[in-house]
Amino acid sequence: MFKMFIKSSILTGIHYIKQCTISKSAFIHTSIILRKAEDRKEMLASLPAKDEGTIGEKSVDIDTLFNRRAKSFPDANTATQLFNGIPFNELPICNIRVSPNNTIISVTDYKGVPRLIRSCGIEGFKNTRKGTNIAAQATAVSISAKAVELGWKTIRVKVRGLGPGRMSAIKGLQMGGLNIISVTDNTPVSWNPPRPRKQRSL
Amino acid sequence: MRHAQFLARTVFVHNNNVEEACRILNRILGKEEIFDQFRRTRFYEKPYQVRRRINFEKCKAIYNEDMNRKIQFVLRKNRVDPFPGCN
Repeated sequence: MFKMFIKSSILTGIHYIKQCTISKSAFIHTSIILRKAEDRKEMLASLPAKDEGTIGEKSVDIDTLFNRRAKSFPDANTATQLFNGIPFNELPICNIRVSPNNTIISVTDYKGVPRLIRSCGIEGFKNTRKGTNIAAQATAVSISAKAVELGWKTIRVKVRGLGPGRMSAIKGLQMGGLNIISVTDNTPVSWNPPRPRKQRSL
Repeated sequence: MRHAQFLARTVFVHNNNVEEACRILNRILGKEEIFDQFRRTRFYEKPYQVRRRINFEKCKAIYNEDMNRKIQFVLRKNRVDPFPGCN
């Protein structure tokens, strides 16, 4: 009986070793670096796509603009159109500058003279937390409170760049009590730019 | 791209619906490949990468054209109003 037990245990042990060698053989690499790169690729593939705040960029839904009565785009008469008693081209401007790592919001008068400026860094978010949508929203809420104090309740918004704060900063301005008339994209895009910096090594 | 400020790439907000306005703006800019160009020019694209990308885009365009033609062929209708009640 005892003999049998030993025999069987040895057998199972051999079987286990066999299994190990078979299953492990798939992960044999000549260098550690190669395996590391693969692991990183797998990890990046499993991660959710990074939010850039560009909701609706990829959507291909049927254009609802044609059925709409209200006009969505400016024309030649827009500049003199009154909003809350102020012509469109004399409304204060809110510039939002978004980057992957930070969001800077400044409020200027209609000539472009800056009056208020806040960024996620000034707001108290440091390091990687600066580049989040929550930081952008908090910054927008605080700057809009200051703008309301100045008596600027109706504004136009100009957004520049792509990043997590793009949508949430605009939402935050509205939550802070500002009345947003229009949203403009001011992202600098060139088809023949000077040579950019070299690619990041991942 | 320099354009008249607050005339180009501008969308009005209706009924305080900021999200809808942003979605329209983002969709148009995405379709016109302005965001793609912006993302592409953050870092230098090596010539071999440009060639690969351009070739891939060409192949994709050819495939899409053929596929659209096939779909239109399968969906063709021989009647006065092709899809009654859909206007």
